[in-house]
Formats: sequence, structure tokens, C-alpha cells
Amino acid sequence: MPEAEAIRLAQQGDAGAFERLYQLHNRRVYSLCLRMVSNTAEAEDLTQEAFLQLFRKIATFRGESAFSTWLHRLAVNVVLMKLRRKSGTETSLEQVTEPDEESGSPRRDFGGPDIRLSGSIDRVNLQRAVDQLPPGYKAVFVLHDVQGYEHNEIAEIMGCSIGNSKSQLHKARMRLRGLLHEAVREKAREERKAAGTSSGGED
Amino acid sequence: MSTINCTEFLHHIDEWIEGQEVPGARDHSRACADCRGLAEDLGTIRLAAVTLPEADPDPSPRIWTALRTQLEQEGLIRSVAPTRLPHRAGWFASIFSFVPRPALAAAYVGALVIAGVVLSGPVHMPTDQDRWRERTQRTSAELNAQLEAAEETAMASLTNFSPDLTADLRRNLSIVDNDIALCEKSVQESPESEIARDYLYNAYQQKADLLAQISERGEGR
Repeated sequence: MPEAEAIRLAQQGDAGAFERLYQLHNRRVYSLCLRMVSNTAEAEDLTQEAFLQLFRKIATFRGESAFSTWLHRLAVNVVLMKLRRKSGTETSLEQVTEPDEESGSPRRDFGGPDIRLSGSIDRVNLQRAVDQLPPGYKAVFVLHDVQGYEHNEIAEIMGCSIGNSKSQLHKARMRLRGLLHEAVREKAREERKAAGTSSGGED
Repeated sequence: MSTINCTEFLHHIDEWIEGQEVPGARDHSRACADCRGLAEDLGTIRLAAVTLPEADPDPSPRIWTALRTQLEQEGLIRSVAPTRLPHRAGWFASIFSFVPRPALAAAYVGALVIAGVVLSGPVHMPTDQDRWRERTQRTSAELNAQLEAAEETAMASLTNFSPDLTADLRRNLSIVDNDIALCEKSVQESPESEIARDYLYNAYQQKADLLAQISERGEGR
């Protein structure tokens, strides 16, 4: 069943159409949620909540935007709401980034000249760094670099301008670079310490 | 020779690492080790990000099951549409379209109460899977025996219906029976699954409903 037909039938309450729409999109929505919260049980709950909201509102879908964009907007909102509740504060999208980094041009921040990330990052330490991003940065980074959305789509999903999406992505990447550099340095320190202990033990 | 400076390069670094043409960026990158290193790092992060979903587990089937239950409870979709039998909503809806929903016969209610007590909730679930499976089998056998007796009575009343309606009802009974068999199999395979037990309970309930409707309809003729 094509997506458009499934949407039309779901708007009439057809159970099979709901399931079809779920099957078409559940992996990407789950992946987004999982990337944002790094916890499978929470990601499952958030995926369920996003689809629930989608199906509650499906009768109002008029096709002004792509269905997947609409669904991702719901999913991102569900996730951000969850993260805001977790942090115990009601905050706007701007506040889930960092206010002091919101304006102005990119800073000249080259990091340590002796460290290069090529060959030293894997999925685990990248995800660990992503986990440390502010939610707004994280959402844009995941949508663009992980899920492949364009800035105009992200702007629609996040309810922000294209420029804002680009700016947040840049800051997210720069922040990740800093976090990954720190992880590489930490690892090097530990290795030196281990080597020192080992050689000390031989004396 | 560099045609843009570091600040300009940094302004366009995201376009550059995404493969867009940025005038002067290539020359600047060759000339400036800091900017080249930064671009390499951001490019590395971008490439690594693409691989992140490869390790993602599949979403659990639990999500759709819970979602469907919620949608049914809210009345957004018809309440009897399991994924295994997509045509079931159709038959159930057609039954209700011509038969006013009757009260269940006392015997069916009694049987279902037993099933409900035994099949519902983890509070009654023995920790040992085999014990739970055995208990479910025993309850299922008792229920099936009661439903078979009820079916005999209902079948006797089928003589009062038209051949077309009789054929429809037999077909619907066959669908419910198949569904019960599937649900019983699921419970046997996963006796600890609350969802599987819920489905089995619902399948029994649907059969009891259908038999009650046939009986009442037959008696009314």
C-alpha cells in the first residue's frame, strides 16, 4: 500500500493503514529517539508517544509538508519535551542550545594542533560525545548528519530558520570535536599512566 | 596562494566539508595547517555520524502492540484488528452492522471470568514458565470445552437463518477459531508474555460474543 493511500485510509480509521504507516517510518523515528536519549526503553516509549500523537492528529494532515517531515517534527517535539521534563525546566528551543553561543560568527577554535580525530573515533565514543550535546544541537546534528535531512527540512521539523539550523549544526560539530579531542587526550593520559605503572612495577 | 583568510574559511567550513564548492577554500586549506586540521576533524565526525544507525537494534514489536492497544482504547481504530489477521476487522464490523450487540450469556461470562482471572496480569503469573504454561493449557482446555458446547447450541440455531447468512456466520466462526489457535500458539511459545495472554483472552471473548449473538438471533426467529 503506497504511503498516500495509507494516509487516506488511516484518516478514515483503517487499522491496516495505521500499521502500514507505522511500518514505513518506525525505524527512522526509533533511531532518532534512540540517538537522542541513548536508552532503548526510553526510545521505545518516545517512539510510541510520537506515533500516538501522529495518529491522533492524522485527520488534520493536509499534505502541506512531507508526511515524514510532519512525523519527525512530532517526534522531535516529544523527545525535546521529555528532555526538558528530565532537566526539570520549561525551556524554549533556543534555550536547549546555549545562549552565549547563539549569536555571532564561528569562533576561531582550532583545538590542539597535535591531535587529529581521523582514525581515533568510533561509534561508541562518538555516541558518548553526542550524548553530551545540548538537546537542540543534538537534534540538528542527528537529523542532518545521522539521518540525512536537509536544512530546509530541519527548519520545518524544528520550527526554526534555515540559518538557525546551519548555525546549530556548526556549533554541534565544533562541540563534538572538542569533546572527542578531550576523549582522545584522556585515553592518551590513561595509556601513559598504565605504561608508567607497568614500567614502575618492573623496577 | 590562499585567496581567503582563516575567518572566511571558517565561515564556509561546513559547506566545504559537505563537498560544496567554496572559492578559495582549497588553496587556503593547503596553505593553513590549522584550518586543514579542523576541516579534517569535522569531516571525520560527519563520516562517522553516518555509520551510527548501523548499530541500532530493531525497534521492539512491543511498540506497535502497545500503540495499537492504545489506539483501540481511544477508538481511533477498530478494536479487533490483530496484525496476523488483517481481515478480522472486516468480519467483526459486519457482524455488528446487522446484529444488535446483546449481553453475553451467563455461561460465557462465567467462562470468560475464569479466563480473565487466569490469563490477566503478572500478579498471578508463576515464576516458573512451565508451570505457567501448564496452567494456561488447562484453562484453555476448559474454555474450549465450554465454547464447544456453546457452539453446538449456536449451530443448532443456524437452521433458522438464510443459507447466505449461515455461510457468513460459519466463515466468521472459522476465522475466530483460527485466531484462537494462533493466540494459543503464541501463549505456548511465550507464556510469560502479558500481551500474548491478552490476545488469547480477546480471541475467546470474540468467540463467546459471536456465539451469543448467533444464539440470541436464532431464538428471536
